[in-house]
Amino acid sequence: MNSRLIKIAVPVVGASVLLVVAFVGWFVLSAWWSNPPPVLGFGEGPEQPIAFPHTVHVSDAGLDCQFCHRTVSTDEAATIPAVAQCLFCHGFDKIDGRLSTSGTAQEELAKLIADLGEPQEPINWNRVYRLPDHVQFVHAPHIQQGISCSTCHGEIGTMQVVKQVRNLKMRDCVDCHRDNGAPTDCSICHY
Amino acid sequence: MATQTKASAQRDNPKWEMVVDLDRCTGCQACVIACQAENNIPINEESAFHEHRAIQWIRIERYWEGEFPDVKARFLPLLCQQCDNAPCEPVCPVFATYHNNEGLNVQVYNRCVGTRYCGNNCPYHARLFNYWEPVWPEDLRNQLNPDVTVRTRGVMEKCTFCIQRIRRATRGGEPVEDGTLQPACAQACPTSALVFGNSNDPDAKVSRLKTDERHFRVMEHLGTDPSVTYLKQVDVDG
Repeated sequence: MNSRLIKIAVPVVGASVLLVVAFVGWFVLSAWWSNPPPVLGFGEGPEQPIAFPHTVHVSDAGLDCQFCHRTVSTDEAATIPAVAQCLFCHGFDKIDGRLSTSGTAQEELAKLIADLGEPQEPINWNRVYRLPDHVQFVHAPHIQQGISCSTCHGEIGTMQVVKQVRNLKMRDCVDCHRDNGAPTDCSICHY
Repeated sequence: MATQTKASAQRDNPKWEMVVDLDRCTGCQACVIACQAENNIPINEESAFHEHRAIQWIRIERYWEGEFPDVKARFLPLLCQQCDNAPCEPVCPVFATYHNNEGLNVQVYNRCVGTRYCGNNCPYHARLFNYWEPVWPEDLRNQLNPDVTVRTRGVMEKCTFCIQRIRRATRGGEPVEDGTLQPACAQACPTSALVFGNSNDPDAKVSRLKTDERHFRVMEHLGTDPSVTYLKQVDVDG
């Protein structure tokens, strides 16, 4: 009886351990070479304090990226607009989500207005794209060279929740720089 | 045609150099502090100086000339000389330091594995090693310069000629007008003893000064071919 149990248990346990090891190995290796594979929620973008839909703003309203991300063509960072800038459109009860079909727009906009209370605090958005500290990425020259935002950020206009679409490992950057004749001097990015 | 040649020389092939006029230097150390603030250099405590492990990308070497009471204090700001024939470069086993096409001796922090060969091979002691993880007091957190990497423990660092400023100034592709681009030390110098510029531009102040009759380069006999030129009137009485 006992030996029979062992005979079954050993291969089962062995196979499951092997499976777990293979899964972890596959996950680590793919994350090393590229983005983590879309399992266990890794393919999703982070949840944001306000469910800002790029779909509505880009695809439906037809806003240009630079309408909100104003410094992208001149500075290092594209910057997330201040709450006050959201109110250029959403203030004065002009666009208050009443026309929204999903029904959550008014709730989310209420959160936006709440952020204007005292003390005024910026919205604590969760970062989607993160580069290591030793990389100095500057948006401006890329935009000035006519690289479109979607080259790196994907079709943001179709994303309900923004997620990282490109792995942006150094190989990814250098390949693109080579293909476009951009400098590949280390000190262009690392200083 | 002439302007075009000049413009292209400036834009396509800048060679960044510095001239230090020792006759103007008062040893005030403003450059040291400016550099410290600009480049996220960790705070050196007294013990770090005793151990010769303080990190200063530019430092004032003070020495005395003559015998008391006829003694004169002399100051020599010493920074990475960005040597064209740099002794630090060939000894790095991982190519973390190399020469780029702007005449800069570049240190790539993320490549550095901390062998310290480069520091040992530098005759100017311009390369500094991070023996500790840098820490700043809580209220200084927000003063860190976002354009400069905070170096971690175990990597070499040194003066970069404020490459973050060079990158910012040259980003648009237009030629940099002489005098508009300055590293933090030169900007802070109250007597304008430090002059920075593109020596490939014949009209630049740095090109004129480096051939001044007072010029010399520190430890030139070693053949390092430094990019920093010093000016000093030879004191016949001193």
